[in-house]
Amino acid sequence: MIALIALVPLLGAMLPPIVIRSGRDRCTAVTAVVSLVSLAVLLAQVPAVFSGEPVRTSVEWVPALGLSFSFFLDGLGLLFAGLILGIGLLITLYARFYLGRDEKVGRFFAYLLLFQGAMLGIVTSDNILLLVVFWELTSLSSFLLIGWWSHTPEGRQGARMALVVTGGGGLLLIGGMLLLGQAAGSYELTTILARGEVVRGSPLYLPILLLVLGAAFTKSAQFPFHFWLPHAMAAPTPVSAYLHSATMVKAGVFLLARLWPVLSGTETWFLVVTGTGLITMLIAAWIALFKTDLKAILAYSTVSHLGLMTMLLGFGTPYAVTACVFHVINHATFKAALFMSAGIVDHEAGTRDIRKLGGLRRLMPVSATLALIASASMAGIPLFNGFLSKEMMLEAAAHTALVPSLATLGALLSVAYSVRFALGVYLGPVRDDYPHRPHDPPAGMWLPVAVLAFLVLAIGVAPQLLAGGIVALAGQASAGPVPIPEVHLSIWHGVTPALVMSAAALVGGLLLLAVFGPLERVREKTFRPEAKAMFDAVVAGAVAACRRGIGPMHADSLPRWLAAISATIVVVGATAFFTATYAPGTRDLLPVEFLGVVAWVLLAAACGAVVVLHGHRVLTLILTSVVGLVVSLAFLQFSAPDLALTQISVEVVTTILMLLALNLLPKLTPPEHAPLRRLRDGGIAAAIGLGAAGLAYAVMTRDFTTISDYHVTQAKPGGGGTNVVNVILVDFRGFDTFGEIIVLCIAALAVVALLDSALRGAAARRLDAVRQGLESADAHPLVLVIATRVLLPLALAVGAYIFLRGHNEPGGGFIAGLVVAIAIIMQAMASGYAWAASRFRVDAHALLGAGVLAAGVTGLGAVLLGRPFLTSWHGHFHLPLIGDVELASAMAFDAGVFLAVVGTVLLSLAQISRVEARAEHRPVPEGPLDIKFGRRQTTPTGAPLTTARVDAAKES
Amino acid sequence: MAFATELLVSALILIGAFFLVVGSFGLAKLPDLMRRLHGPTKATTLGIGALLLASMLYFLLVRGAPSLHEILISVFLFLTAPVTAHMIAKAHILRDGALQNTLPEAPDGAGWATLKPAREDAPAA
Repeated sequence: MIALIALVPLLGAMLPPIVIRSGRDRCTAVTAVVSLVSLAVLLAQVPAVFSGEPVRTSVEWVPALGLSFSFFLDGLGLLFAGLILGIGLLITLYARFYLGRDEKVGRFFAYLLLFQGAMLGIVTSDNILLLVVFWELTSLSSFLLIGWWSHTPEGRQGARMALVVTGGGGLLLIGGMLLLGQAAGSYELTTILARGEVVRGSPLYLPILLLVLGAAFTKSAQFPFHFWLPHAMAAPTPVSAYLHSATMVKAGVFLLARLWPVLSGTETWFLVVTGTGLITMLIAAWIALFKTDLKAILAYSTVSHLGLMTMLLGFGTPYAVTACVFHVINHATFKAALFMSAGIVDHEAGTRDIRKLGGLRRLMPVSATLALIASASMAGIPLFNGFLSKEMMLEAAAHTALVPSLATLGALLSVAYSVRFALGVYLGPVRDDYPHRPHDPPAGMWLPVAVLAFLVLAIGVAPQLLAGGIVALAGQASAGPVPIPEVHLSIWHGVTPALVMSAAALVGGLLLLAVFGPLERVREKTFRPEAKAMFDAVVAGAVAACRRGIGPMHADSLPRWLAAISATIVVVGATAFFTATYAPGTRDLLPVEFLGVVAWVLLAAACGAVVVLHGHRVLTLILTSVVGLVVSLAFLQFSAPDLALTQISVEVVTTILMLLALNLLPKLTPPEHAPLRRLRDGGIAAAIGLGAAGLAYAVMTRDFTTISDYHVTQAKPGGGGTNVVNVILVDFRGFDTFGEIIVLCIAALAVVALLDSALRGAAARRLDAVRQGLESADAHPLVLVIATRVLLPLALAVGAYIFLRGHNEPGGGFIAGLVVAIAIIMQAMASGYAWAASRFRVDAHALLGAGVLAAGVTGLGAVLLGRPFLTSWHGHFHLPLIGDVELASAMAFDAGVFLAVVGTVLLSLAQISRVEARAEHRPVPEGPLDIKFGRRQTTPTGAPLTTARVDAAKES
Repeated sequence: MAFATELLVSALILIGAFFLVVGSFGLAKLPDLMRRLHGPTKATTLGIGALLLASMLYFLLVRGAPSLHEILISVFLFLTAPVTAHMIAKAHILRDGALQNTLPEAPDGAGWATLKPAREDAPAA
């Protein structure tokens, strides 16, 4: 049931792009309904979670890897899921009004739901590997969201940077989680959380910690990975508000809080996590103070607050964890509200530059009030919720050494930039030079802000009533076995150290702002590292290094690759041979027959001739076809008629297709001059040949039992056919064949894709240049045309015959497919491709698809009957007239093979013909014959039947 | 009877083999392509025809089971051999410039199909 929390948005992401056709409002409504359904599922679990019952669900996925589809929900997950869905709903409403008229809202909402589902998956998954999957999904979907405005370079670069940093963190997380699963002995979070001692005592603890922290710090934009977050501000404001308040960046904090019982409590944890959090908090707050772009201020403020949360988790005390959880809620509410307010200002005033704004309080009173409430919370002013968690933070910090003063400094900076934000935008005098005259936006835009601002105030005034329960629950869930102190959220705790620090921060912040001018001038003069430039330099360096490292190995030279692969095989094989003992085979050699010698001499002569004549492309092709012919004769000699048939048909088809392709190329290959290289290549080739021959000899002179005995005995009873080869292909190894026909289809598509480049551009010009002008005046001679047409039904009958008998006698779908393909190629060659294509009206792509589909559906039929995929079924039937017939479901599978083969050949033929026609510079005749008869035939309208079309084509 | 059958089949095989040898010899020995073409097309086809006949008679008279494969083979062979020869000859004419000059004139100036495109105003007969 709780799996639905994440799955509903993930699957629901398909709806908005469909629904957008019926309008933007309905699309928004559907998106909201998807989130609401997920929220309803979540809320239904609330009683169970509060009563402490374990809420789990689990389905095995890849048990061998420890990967299962398991989810669980506790207080922490509930809190985060609630925030993700609640704020997600508000963002949906806001985005409806924020996005411009020409934006593709359907796609936007699809990305948003995808992201929402991935986030929910992170916070509810029980299996840590599943968590990694969702973690990566958030990186990918946030990439799509951040890069939404992909027409702007900032959008693209920001999205790429976010993906590189968070995706890199994802890699670390994979490593960390695998090690964690090893150390804990389980990949289930609920189990791991109970084994904290074991993990901390494990020698793997340090690598686990560093990898997990690396992932969390990159995701949560902690120093020194903080730089991606401000650049992600190129995204539309709804995205920023969603990703950087409640979701994306909180995933890192969530991870730390989730694994807190397992990883925290050690010296390293305290030093690294607290240190990083503290540094991030201070640096980001300092930068935020000087930013002029509203969203940049908020971005750095977000980084600073994330640092604060990280620092709290680093303290390692249950009280600090509770404070962190509370701050997650508060930060999500006020920061989402502030981002949306910044978006409103941008939308209405036309600028986000704080230097060009001011006095908006009077011009847009509603949104200004809401934004001021939120920024007061960000500053940590009493009666707003930010104050409460800041107090708890200072209280927690007060119990450590050195940190208190620095934490106060952070709070002080936070006050300063919050006040500057409020002063610069909303307070102060009204100006008259705004790019647009600002006014309050439509209610749809400020309503979400109002909801959040209300929460900010309500939690600020009555914290225990509204948030006490969930904070205690989530804090306890995060702290794990350690009991957390009684949480009593209230505004007044008496005069505590925290209150003093808070007051100091307030006063200090205002004082700092008073000297802002001189301070900024000093800062302008000091050196500031530019993160983006550094990042770009690192990326460029990495790319260059990869080029240098990989480039020489990946030169576009086929011979070099072949040489490298072959040489490796030779070295490996030779090492194995010479370091191990070898005994000659025990089988007696067969006597040499005269025919065998003839075939062998022919084979050797053809191979030798290829070496000598390899510069002549057509000759080489013919010589290699001699090799194929001799091989198929050898198959016949050793009683493998199926293989012989297959070999011959394959040989014919490839020779024809290659002849057609060679027609496009120069007749000679450029000669190789370097004798050293020829020597090297010759040496490698000889070594490979000797090795292969030796291997064949070694295998053939040994007696050993192979699986073929089983195949031979089981072909009839198990597969219902007496042709063992065919039964192996369609039954015993049907899955193999299924994969192979898919590969075949992919190869056909690759032919299309590769030859497509020959149709245009530089490749096409080169083709035209090498084209030779010798062409027969009658492209389609009458004798050939008539002969092939007479042969067509004969060839098709042979194909059908070979197909039908295939299960019991030599033949089958593959050979039949080749025979039929040859019959069709014959027509194309004799009568012209256009003629053949206009009569063969089945699309080759459709044939490919139908073939794979037929084979797959046959296999699925077995699944429906409760048997494994591709189990074949066979039985005897008695038909009137025809007699006893044996039918096997494998025949349907074979039909799939047949269709795939025919489709592959025809698709290749079609593509070659397209290129040929382009190279011919000549219209393709469309009539039944392009030969003139003495008598001119006429159509009923009186127009000449055959020649007119040719003429028309020639004129065009 | 059996002897007569065997004699007949053997004779056919020998005739077939003879023509195959003649065809191969011609292919190897004749001076130019046009003449060489006779060997593998005419003589060899005849030879294979005799062999197929021998095979049919053997199965019919000795094994007692009529075999029809040979008819199919003959059909394919008799259809493809002349067409192949025709195509090779056409290609040869197209490629050999010297040969083109020695070709006799075609009747009523129609020209050789390989060299001259069909006229648009072919007389209606």
